[in-house]
Amino acid sequence: MRIMLACAAGMSTSILVAKMEAAAKEQGKDYKIWAIDQSMIERELGNFDVLLLGPQVQHTMRKVKKIINGTVPVAVIKAVDYGRGNGAAVLKHAEELIEGGQA
Amino acid sequence: MSAFDTFADRVSIVAEKVDDNKYLSVVKNTFTVLMPFIIVGSFATLGNSLLTSETTGLAQFSALQFLTVLEPAFTAINFATMNTMTLAVIVILGWILGERNNENGIMCAVVSLSAYIAVVPQGVETMVDGVESLASGLPVATLNAGGLFIGMFLTIITVDFFCKLNKIEKLQIKMPPSVPSAISKSFSVLIPIFITLFVIAIAGRLFELATGLYINEALYQFLQAPLEGILQHPAGIIGLVIISQVFWLVGIHGGLVISPIRNPILIAALAANIAAFEAGQTPGQVITMGSWVTFLVVGGAGLILSLNIALLLFSKKDDLRAVAKIGLVPSLFGISEPVVFGLPLVLNPIFAIPFVLGSGIPAAIVLVANQWGFLGSNIVDVPFGLPIIIGAFLGWGINGVILQVILIALGVLIYLPFVFLSNRTMSADA
Repeated sequence: MRIMLACAAGMSTSILVAKMEAAAKEQGKDYKIWAIDQSMIERELGNFDVLLLGPQVQHTMRKVKKIINGTVPVAVIKAVDYGRGNGAAVLKHAEELIEGGQA
Repeated sequence: MSAFDTFADRVSIVAEKVDDNKYLSVVKNTFTVLMPFIIVGSFATLGNSLLTSETTGLAQFSALQFLTVLEPAFTAINFATMNTMTLAVIVILGWILGERNNENGIMCAVVSLSAYIAVVPQGVETMVDGVESLASGLPVATLNAGGLFIGMFLTIITVDFFCKLNKIEKLQIKMPPSVPSAISKSFSVLIPIFITLFVIAIAGRLFELATGLYINEALYQFLQAPLEGILQHPAGIIGLVIISQVFWLVGIHGGLVISPIRNPILIAALAANIAAFEAGQTPGQVITMGSWVTFLVVGGAGLILSLNIALLLFSKKDDLRAVAKIGLVPSLFGISEPVVFGLPLVLNPIFAIPFVLGSGIPAAIVLVANQWGFLGSNIVDVPFGLPIIIGAFLGWGINGVILQVILIALGVLIYLPFVFLSNRTMSADA
């Protein structure tokens, strides 16, 4: 499973990526998780199975949905999980999105 | 709460509109591409003052005097990046906007460059033996940051016009299928380029006849210079910081939203500082991109490092202290999100006042410190993401570090009353 996160510059989100990777490893899951700047989403199309937006760029959701065009699920990370670096919760969120087949 | 929600909705809509606006978003992306060149250019100037200068650099020692031969190379790097940034901006913007219009980006970039050069003066006034004459060449004012706004406006007009023409089938010269596609592509854009450049160049000439000014001079004088002035003025810069914080208050990245306006102006300010320094004058633009990240949003937008310190020292709420602990290290690097969303500060009625209004105070102090002569104007760019102290030292030396520490301490004092208030009022699960 390939989980991509997007925020402004990809800096604060990369903190969460580390936490999510740790949570995935603990659960024995081999996921690819990474963070990018929100302007780069278009270039990564096809490289990810689920896209999570940092809450600080939630205002770009409509534009992002247009770019994704229904190919994969996309959602905004819950603000408190994001802020407190709750990697396990965000990981579960990503898994649910994929299982939900929101695509 | 419902008034708060309505407010949040309205601010979100503004942020979405700005982000969705084609022109603002391509301008924002243009300056993201340009950023590394700005940093390199400013470091070339630093190289001159640290290495090749005979008064301030290593070259003042006789054993290292040979370093002075490198001075022209360092100056050239600065000229090629900072002093000619308008050309780079036109090419990047033309390209990005062209791609966004689903047209050939490089073609749009070259058309924009030609259009720009066609409307600016193509001669440099010089004095030869006391007689004024016109030498051929582009004046520096058309190449350096002084041309940014006219360059951006003209590129937007040119690219959109050119792309519209390109969509008109009748204007495309069709080659037989046997002609190689690269050649037939050049022919198909011939008439659109012809029309675009003639229209722009003639419009530029008419403007000059009507006003006596070239359009780049007029736009600089009546738009760019006033805007630059506004951001060096207390009301302007404090206002901009507060606008950015209002977005943060509803959980939207304020810096990202205001960047299409802020970045060109504050990069131009840095360029002006470097130009002044290279000319042997004192740089005079204290508000730059560097001072924004180093002082105005020290410890993360909203003085988050200060809030973390205040919480860790005085908060009685375990959950708030836990968030402050998580957010402490990121805030040393200017990253505020863990606390903004973890505490959360988003729509937080207690911390809203210091988070939004308190953030204007560093801007005011930076301007005052500059007036008193304590803080100079930087010539070395300080990119976002450097830890505190190091960034301040890089841009302003020891005085910068002192001011940064003062601002952090002041931030703690600003947040303290609200931390005490939260001890009494915020519920445990807030």
